[in-house]
Parts: sequence; structure tokens; C-alpha cells
Amino acid sequence: MTLSVDVAARRGGFEVRAAFEAEAGETVALLGPNGSGKSTLVLAIAGLLRPSEGTIALDGEVLDGEGGHVPPERRPIGVVFQDLLLFPHLSAVENVAFGLRARGIDAAEARARARAALERLGLDDRADARPRDLSGGEAQRVALARALIGEPALLLLDEPLSALDVGTRVEVRELAREQLRGFPGVRVVVTHDAVEASALADRLILLEHGRVTQVGSPEEIRTAPRSRYAADFVGVNAFQGRLDRLADGAGRLVGPGAEVVVPWPENFPGGEAIALLRPGDVTLSLEAPQGSARNVFEGPVTWIAIEGERARVRVASVPPLVAEITVGSVQRLGLREGVQVWASFKAMEVQVLPR
Amino acid sequence: MRKLLILLASMSLLLPACGSDGDGGSTDATNATDGGSDHAELTVSGASSLTDAFGDIGTAFEGENPGVTVTFNFGPSDGLATQINDGAPVDVFASASPTWMDSVQDDGPGVSDRSDFAKNRLTIIVPKDNPAGIEDIGDVAEDGVKLVIATEGVPAGDYAREIFENAGISKAALANVVSNAEDVRAVVTSVASGEADAGVVYVTDVTADVTDQVTQIEIPDDINVIATYPIAVVNDAQETDLAKRFVDYVLGPGQQTLADYGFLPA
Amino acid sequence: MLLVGLPLLGLIFRTPWARIGEVLTSDTVLTALRLSLLVATSAAAISFVLGFPLAWMLVRSTFPGKTFVRALVVLPLVMPPVVAGVGLSAAFGRRGIVGSWLYDWFGIQLTFTTGAAVLAATFVSFPLAVLALEAGLRGLDERLEDAASTLGASRWYVMRRVTLPLMAPQIAAALVLSWARALGEFGATITFAGNLQGRTQTLPLAVFERLQTDQDAAFAISMLLIAIAFAVIIGLRGRFLR
Repeated sequence: MTLSVDVAARRGGFEVRAAFEAEAGETVALLGPNGSGKSTLVLAIAGLLRPSEGTIALDGEVLDGEGGHVPPERRPIGVVFQDLLLFPHLSAVENVAFGLRARGIDAAEARARARAALERLGLDDRADARPRDLSGGEAQRVALARALIGEPALLLLDEPLSALDVGTRVEVRELAREQLRGFPGVRVVVTHDAVEASALADRLILLEHGRVTQVGSPEEIRTAPRSRYAADFVGVNAFQGRLDRLADGAGRLVGPGAEVVVPWPENFPGGEAIALLRPGDVTLSLEAPQGSARNVFEGPVTWIAIEGERARVRVASVPPLVAEITVGSVQRLGLREGVQVWASFKAMEVQVLPR
Repeated sequence: MRKLLILLASMSLLLPACGSDGDGGSTDATNATDGGSDHAELTVSGASSLTDAFGDIGTAFEGENPGVTVTFNFGPSDGLATQINDGAPVDVFASASPTWMDSVQDDGPGVSDRSDFAKNRLTIIVPKDNPAGIEDIGDVAEDGVKLVIATEGVPAGDYAREIFENAGISKAALANVVSNAEDVRAVVTSVASGEADAGVVYVTDVTADVTDQVTQIEIPDDINVIATYPIAVVNDAQETDLAKRFVDYVLGPGQQTLADYGFLPA
Repeated sequence: MLLVGLPLLGLIFRTPWARIGEVLTSDTVLTALRLSLLVATSAAAISFVLGFPLAWMLVRSTFPGKTFVRALVVLPLVMPPVVAGVGLSAAFGRRGIVGSWLYDWFGIQLTFTTGAAVLAATFVSFPLAVLALEAGLRGLDERLEDAASTLGASRWYVMRRVTLPLMAPQIAAALVLSWARALGEFGATITFAGNLQGRTQTLPLAVFERLQTDQDAAFAISMLLIAIAFAVIIGLRGRFLR
């Protein structure tokens, strides 16, 4: 069972073009910043928006394309929306039963099946509660149950975790992973959150400004990010700009307000380039460094994120930099928000790619 | 927005008479100015059928009495009487039937200088195209004729009913009544507009502006009713002297005007 | 407050409480009451049936002349009722643009019929229904309807099980408001439908007629209308405090 999408879709003056496929048994994430076109694609796949060009096909059946447009109610899909969109005037069990009753299954049977579904999710005692009385996590499960009860061929999750607070998010993320793993059909998750995407998906499709910029597993993308967003995604430092050749053969990347010395890539024809630098290659010190590093910048610490033994420190230099150092170093340097530091790195550590 | 709607809805219930011009009549108000010893305002309530004639009489009276403004209140005599009895500040009352003058006399503030000042006869009117083919009073009783007369209590309405009695067609004619108009002028409108097949009004109601829209069907003298119009000064009037002068005027020079409009002498 | 309160107080003061039972159970009043209820209910029902699709179009679709249509819908609200009556006669009277056709071809004349009273009442109450329904549709989250369709619901099912139930309070408001307005209609009714007991004499017309001869009775019937108005207001308050 495959979902194949190859469309151009327009919404409010903005156009997104994307082509990708998703197989049953894998979870694909459409990942991109807000305004990248992800929601437009969700609407198109769900049938709530007609693409201006192209085809959408699921399990061999053309949903959009030459033959016309199949309306949402006739698509074998289950959608969990960003705001869940549970029907406020119906109880949890009625919400879940809705999809069955809408398709003509009689009320009693629909209710019974809905109840069973809620039981499986541990929500038996909340079956008669109204959506407004459910907690974030409970509502999420009801929305999921509602989408799955019709045994759709495609499960589409639109920003499944963004409406939740941090605590609930972790709990629901695990639930979502479980549910996704157990779902036999095609699974597509749409999100702007890199962590969410990494946690839930097997394959990522990066969307920026209405275009697909990279496709691959989280690992692949992490290893070789091909755009600023992709780099941000993996927490890699990225610089963009025009690359000029220096007298000694090195390169100088001239970006907005900053210059970075980088190696000159082989056979580079000149022009725009993107330079990537791992946070671990950035050195922090309280005084101007004396070494041979050709890239030295200064600025205040804006945040520090501790992850076990490692700490990521963001410095608001020009350009801004993220350094990864040990927790011990943080303590030794007395780093806190606002502390002025010097960040330096060697030109050789920088990986340059033509744009 | 919603509160506005509630207010609108309840106001429309509270004020059911909203939208019609007072009690079925038109107030011929000329600007009354305050101050100055010469300035006086006379309020006259008159039956609807007197609208045109009294309008002229009022203008003439004002001409002869500079500084005086005559304000008319035309409507069905029963309604006018009720208003006066309820305390409306009216100086002169001219009714289309003695009944309502009696009412003011007996149940109201009382009157003085009462005189009959005109008589009137009734007639049947039909639209110019005469859709029901009415040719005489008997036809009014034919099945399906859409007849409009004034309500009971309004002199023209009572007279119409009396005429049907006289003609022996009460049952059938009254069964043909599709609307009880609030005053005799409304009957004229219904017929002139072509909505009604026939109506019973005073001969004087067939005025110049209506004459080409309706045809009169004469009611034989032996069944017709002669309406007697009394006029009087209302007791407790504000302008008693002026009121008397007006009554005298109606009984004097006004008689010619009334005759011109088709009224019979008292 | 005084503006609305004083007439009410005046009425309460002048109502012949001793006679009220006798007046309200008289033939005239009972007939007028029955007719009023019939006319108001019919008007409210028609206003809803015609008003809902119109409100839907005004909220959900774009079409040329939309502003004009909206202005037209609100027109009866700002039109003096007598003018509305004149207009209805001009359209549906025997010589009216539609009326003449009805008369010439089918021998039907609308003037002076109960139907005319219903038409007059509908004309003035229709805008209220449309406005209330419009407000209801606007307040609806259309995405809920989208969600329903992804669950397999046809357009009709969505309307039935999602849209209408979610709009229930506004639908109730639309019905009640248009009913109340229809009940109180006078000017258009007396001008277009006429005044005949049992056929077109609704309560307001009965009040008016009584006013000419028996003011006490007029007050009594007015109190009845007030009582109905209060019931409406109290009923609506529950909705809007939701």
C-alpha cells in the first residue's frame, strides 16, 4: 500500500510543490518551519483542498488527478488535526463512534465498537465525558481513536504534539509512537518540531518555502544536512553567503554582517555556498584566544542547555554560534546567561558545500 | 447585536400600533409658534370624511384670524370621542354621527354650543374596472364579492350595516366583508387600489383625486341613510372663545365650502 | 430604561384588572389570539426555512451582488411597517406585479386573506431570522465540519449531526425572535391583509380596534401581549447567558 503525492497546491497566495511516496509500515514525517506548506499538503492529502496540478494516489486509487477529485468523505483516511477538533457537543464515545455512524453503521454497534476502542486506550471511564472535560492527553487519545476506528488506509497526524504542554508531550509522544507502530497502513506525520519528527518518523521530508529541500532518514539528514533549516534541525552551526577566494587558497564566506574563513572546496565554481560546523568544534574562552584559529568571535551567552554530561551553549556573536562543551567546562568558565565569551574555531573544521 | 434584536422584538410587541398614523387619521399640523398674544392654536378633531372640507375651512379661518393656527386631528369619530373622553386636549369636535357626540356629552367632559352643521349620504364605490360587475346594491350580496366597510362603531361602518338591513341583505353582505377598515378613508383606499370589489363610503369621499379610480353606484333613497354631523365646543377646552368662533364659522361661511364638497345642508 | 419601563408601568396601571378575565376570554380576543399564534408560528417557520439557506450563502459563499443582497435582507427591519404593507400590496395585491399574474391565471387574490397576514408577518420577521442564523454560522468553526468529512460524513450528514446541533442556540434565537416580531406586527398586516375577525385580525389589530371604543379592553389585550413578550425575553435570556 502506497501513498504517492506529486502535486502543486495553492492556498492564500502561497504555492507548495512536493513529490514523495510513503509505504505502509513506515512513518514519514513532513517536516518544515511554519509557512513551509506542510498544512497545505495535509489539506490536499485529506481532500479538503484541490491541488492545482498533479496527482495524489493511495493504494492504487487516484484521489486527485486526471479522473477528478475524490471528496474527503470517500477517502480511506484518518486524520488527527492539530487542534484535535473533537466535536464539543458529543461525548468521547460519541466522537469515536462518529466515523462509523457516518458510514451507515447502526448506532448500537458503532457505540459498542467505540467503547471497545476507548477501553483499549484506557479511557473506559472517560467515555461519557465531553471534550472540554478531558485532559490534553486524554483528548489526544480520543482523537486518535476516532481517526483509527474506520480502519483507514492512511493515518495523517497534523502537528500531533504541538498543542500540548511539555509534560504531556512526552507522555503522548510515546503513545503516538506505539499507535503508529501498531497501525498497518501508511503513516504520515506533519510537524515543525525536529525532536518530534526524529522520535516518530522513519523517513523525513523537509519542506521549506513550499519546496522539498531534502529527503532521508533522521540519521542521513543529520550527517549531511543540505540547508540551513536542515542544519538547524540537527543543531549544526550553519552559515550562508558568497564564497570568495583568499590569497592563500582558503575561502572566505561573506554572509550578512559576518565573515568566516573556510577551506576552499574542490572544483568550486564560485558563488553562493553553505558552511557547516559542528558545535563540538567550537571553543569557548573568557579571554581572546591566542591560538591559530582563524575564526574568532565574541558575544554574550544567550542560553545553556544541559544534556547529561554535555552542554550546548548559544553565543550571540556575529554570526551566532552554538558550542558543545562539557558540563565541567561550563562550571569552570562560570558560564551563565549574559556572560561575555570568546568563541573560536579553525577554518579546517568547517565543511563547505555549494548551494 | 443580540440584545438589540431582543429590544427590537419586544418593542414591536409593546407598541403594536407603531407604523400607522396614529388612530387612523392624519394630523394636518401647521407650525405652531409660541409666544405673542396674538398667537393661538385651536385643536379640532373631525371625522375622516371632513378631511378635505375642513382643511379648506381651516385655511380660510386662519386667513380671517391672523395669528391663529388651526390644528386638525382627523379620524374615525368613535376613536376621536374616546380620545377626548380620555382627556385629549381638543377644543372642537365634529362627529359624523350624533352617537359619538352624545358619548362626549354623557361620558366625557361634556360639550357646549352643539349644533348639527351638515348632512351626508352614503354611496357604494367600486374600482373603475369593476371586477365584480356590481351594478346595484343587491349585487353587493352576491357570492364572492370582496366588500370593505368601516368597523362597527365608526359611523360610516354603522351606517353601512344599517343600509344593508334596510335592503334586507344583511346576512349575505356581511358575509362578503373581507376587512373592517379603521375609518371611512381607508375604505376608499381599498377600493381605489383595486384590492376590494366594493365599499360603502360617503358621497363626499369621492374627491377629485379619487374620482378617476372609482365609480359610484347610487344607493336608492329609501334604503340610504342620511348621516347627521354635529359640531360642538368641548368643555374644558383651552381656547373656548376661539372654539366658539370656529363653530360659528363652520355654521356660517363654512357651509358653502361643505356644499362644494358635496355635503348636504343640516 | 425609563423609555421602555414607563409605557409598561402605564399599561400595568391602566389595565382593568377586575375585567381582565372577562376581556381575555371574550370571543374576539380568543379568536385573535388563536390567529396570532397561527400567523406568528407560520411566519417564524417560513422565515427559518427561507432564511437558513440565505444565511448560509451570505456566510459561506461569495457571489456578485452579495452586499446588495445583504442590504435587501435588512431592509424590512428599517422600513416602516405600513410602507412594507404598501410594498406587499404593490407586489402581491390584485394589481401587483406578481399578484396580477396570480389573479389573472389562477383567480387567486392574496389581499384580505390569512395568507396575506402570514406574508406580512414573514416579511418583517425574516431579517431577524437571517441575522441570528448568520451570527450562528459565523461563530461556527468550519474546521469541525472538515474533520467530520474526513471521518466519512457526507455533506448532508455533516449538516445534520455537526452544523445544526452546534448552532442549536442560535437557531432557537432565530425562531423566537422572528416569532416575537411576527406576533407584534401591525402596520403591514392592516395595510396588506386587512382587518377581519377570524381571518386577519391578529392581537395587535384587535388592540387597535378596541382602542377606538373600549380603551380598557385595549389595555387588557395589551397586557396579554406584554406577558407573551416577557416570556420570550426570559426564554431568550437563558440562551444568551450561556
